Amino acid sequence: MIPSLIKYLQTPVQTNRNLLADLSDDNRGLPILTDSPCHHTEGCTLCAEECVASAIVLQQDREPHVTLDLGACIACGRCTDVCPTGTITVSRSTRRAVTRRDDLVLKSGDIVPVPVLASKSPFRNSMVVRYVSTGDNATDMEVGACQNPIFDVGRFGIQFTASPRFADALLIGGPVPLAMQQPLRLCLDAMAEPKVVIAVGTQAITGGLLRGRYARANGVTTVVEPDVWIPGNPPHPWLIIHGLLLAMGNPLVITP
Amino acid sequence: MIQNHFKPAGPFAAEEVPIIQLRARLKTEIQDGNRLGLLTASATSDGHELLTVIISPLGHSVRIINSLLPHDAVTYSSLTPDIPQAHWFEREIADMWGLRPIGHPRMKSLVMHDSFPDNFFPLAAGASLPTSRMRSRRVPYRFTVVQGNGVYEVPVGPVHAGVIEPGHFRFSCLGEVIENLEIRLGFVHRGVEEHLTQCSWQSARYVVEAASSDTSAGNAVAHAFAMESLCGVTVSESVRRLRAACVEIERIACHIGDLAGICADIGFGAGSSAFGVLRAAVLGIAELLTGSRFMTGFLAPFYQRGLPDAAVLTEAASRLTEVGLQLRLTLPLLMDNAGAIERMEGMGIMKPSLAREFGLVGPAARASGIDYDVRKALPTPEYECIEWPIAIWNEGDVLARARVRAHELATSVRLAEALLTGIAVVKQPSCITRLPANATGIGIVEAWRGELIHLVQTDETGRIARYKIKDPSFNNWTALAVSVRGRLLSDFPLCNKSFSLSYSGTDL
Repeated sequence: MIPSLIKYLQTPVQTNRNLLADLSDDNRGLPILTDSPCHHTEGCTLCAEECVASAIVLQQDREPHVTLDLGACIACGRCTDVCPTGTITVSRSTRRAVTRRDDLVLKSGDIVPVPVLASKSPFRNSMVVRYVSTGDNATDMEVGACQNPIFDVGRFGIQFTASPRFADALLIGGPVPLAMQQPLRLCLDAMAEPKVVIAVGTQAITGGLLRGRYARANGVTTVVEPDVWIPGNPPHPWLIIHGLLLAMGNPLVITP
Repeated sequence: MIQNHFKPAGPFAAEEVPIIQLRARLKTEIQDGNRLGLLTASATSDGHELLTVIISPLGHSVRIINSLLPHDAVTYSSLTPDIPQAHWFEREIADMWGLRPIGHPRMKSLVMHDSFPDNFFPLAAGASLPTSRMRSRRVPYRFTVVQGNGVYEVPVGPVHAGVIEPGHFRFSCLGEVIENLEIRLGFVHRGVEEHLTQCSWQSARYVVEAASSDTSAGNAVAHAFAMESLCGVTVSESVRRLRAACVEIERIACHIGDLAGICADIGFGAGSSAFGVLRAAVLGIAELLTGSRFMTGFLAPFYQRGLPDAAVLTEAASRLTEVGLQLRLTLPLLMDNAGAIERMEGMGIMKPSLAREFGLVGPAARASGIDYDVRKALPTPEYECIEWPIAIWNEGDVLARARVRAHELATSVRLAEALLTGIAVVKQPSCITRLPANATGIGIVEAWRGELIHLVQTDETGRIARYKIKDPSFNNWTALAVSVRGRLLSDFPLCNKSFSLSYSGTDL
């Protein structure tokens, strides 16, 4: 016990000072589309064939091009492995949350969209968050990790509350299957205005691989339209914090 | 060293037992020291059959028992009166297949909620997606009512106060004392088993990871074993060692997370922070090996794409050694802390006799004196790279469950280090292009919560016709309900954390 206490007292501050740092090089990250010319014009369909989540769509209208929906992407890394031209490649940026659903649909030739700051967020300096889990417990763990000493979400004026009555923001993880739709609605109704709604993780955005069958696990939009979308399967704590800061309108999210 | 290895590949001994003899047969099996691994139903050409998986820890073997139900039968005689651990299995079968156990002592829905239409059984032959027009209301769920002077109910959930999954707890209290707790799950029923019969088998490995996404590695490995046993193939020793190492690293991360949670529920913030920081280091090792903190999208059946190279393996092993050193210094903060021990001791006791009757698995079983660990009961060569003990305590309280975890942490660090040093980079191309027809495969893994079983069956065209996942939590929820009886309401969060159960793994 004594050596443990000594070790504990000698441990320096663990909190990560490098805010919204890129993911480690070991991480597969999330894909991005670059402006490197895509071979789809010459009939290459490798990425779409590899994609198990149907996130990659070959668009035939006008000029053939590829779109990648981060809201459906499960971050398996198969597309970035096969892309011969480097059009789809890995990004380890943690600044991937967006305020418009369309911004999650990446198009070849695009660069990573700069998030649009909500112009008048009422929660500029502090935001109280209620988390509702609907069936993706890895995302639950990453939301929990935001509160550990390393990420320390409290330093941004964000705290988690036990009741929707006290909450400014509703953070929703998981694919919202049928039996969770009514409880989620009740939770939303219990919150005072103004409020923001944040979808966290691929399953919350579209249901991910679990969408489209009888349990109707099709994501948050079956109940409410979120104001902020955080992609990732599960999203890294920095990605989650980026989404929370985006909802607050904190300028940290745009200064690189 | 155990000489009699369990062979995960190849056909399992299967036997047919008439449905009328099944109850007596299972009773004998359990008296002989065997385990009811899982009980489920499956469709046949002529109706339904019950499938029972029997695990023999002493014989190191697994058997499947098929029991055909008569054509058009929608009922069978309940097994629960003689085999209490079948109680949730039978409720699940009734929900998913519409087969009702006659004589079940507490028959009510388990995973299908009132929001689903009546008489809709997702897995039964001919079940169609309900449209909003064909809805008829189900009989509303009824909680058990405790009667008496001054008894009141405290409903908790489905949305809980903490950052945890949804489920409903109905406490019946007398004063502050819990007289009865009824746990109602099913809020995160996402139809995973039906999904697995609809997707291609190549993408099934991503779907099983989402079944309970905090056990991605465990589910991926159980899936891989099940698919390989279906096809009768084995993978190289390096791949098997890598899989085992991933499962051990997941165990280390999650056990540390659970100890952090126990600290938090005691109100011991310093301990919670210290374990939280240590957990991040383990997730970093997972990220290094697999590219994902939760090891998603990495482990696959039949082959392994991108085996980590020697430098990565050495780095991972040395980081594990460092985690082991840090653990030795951090664990006493909780485990030698008189204040914390005082809070945990005698709290939420699960008696060994009841634990055996309800078929508990994982750390909760081992804290109640059951020496059952899949890594020992169905031994494979990779787990014999070092000598290691099973962590057993007999008290069955929160302290025992914490001690089992602390002890297993040290074992898993040693195991993972040893496993990582024996991995050679060999390219092994996938040789499977289609699955065999009318075959059955089983994968059993000691995931961090305990015995995790995947069972897969193909139809005559080689498509997956039935996929059953038995999460370890499925066996253990009853233990939580039993262990809090007679305790104070305010003791519940700590008891709950000490079991650390998965809602989504149970609901599927």
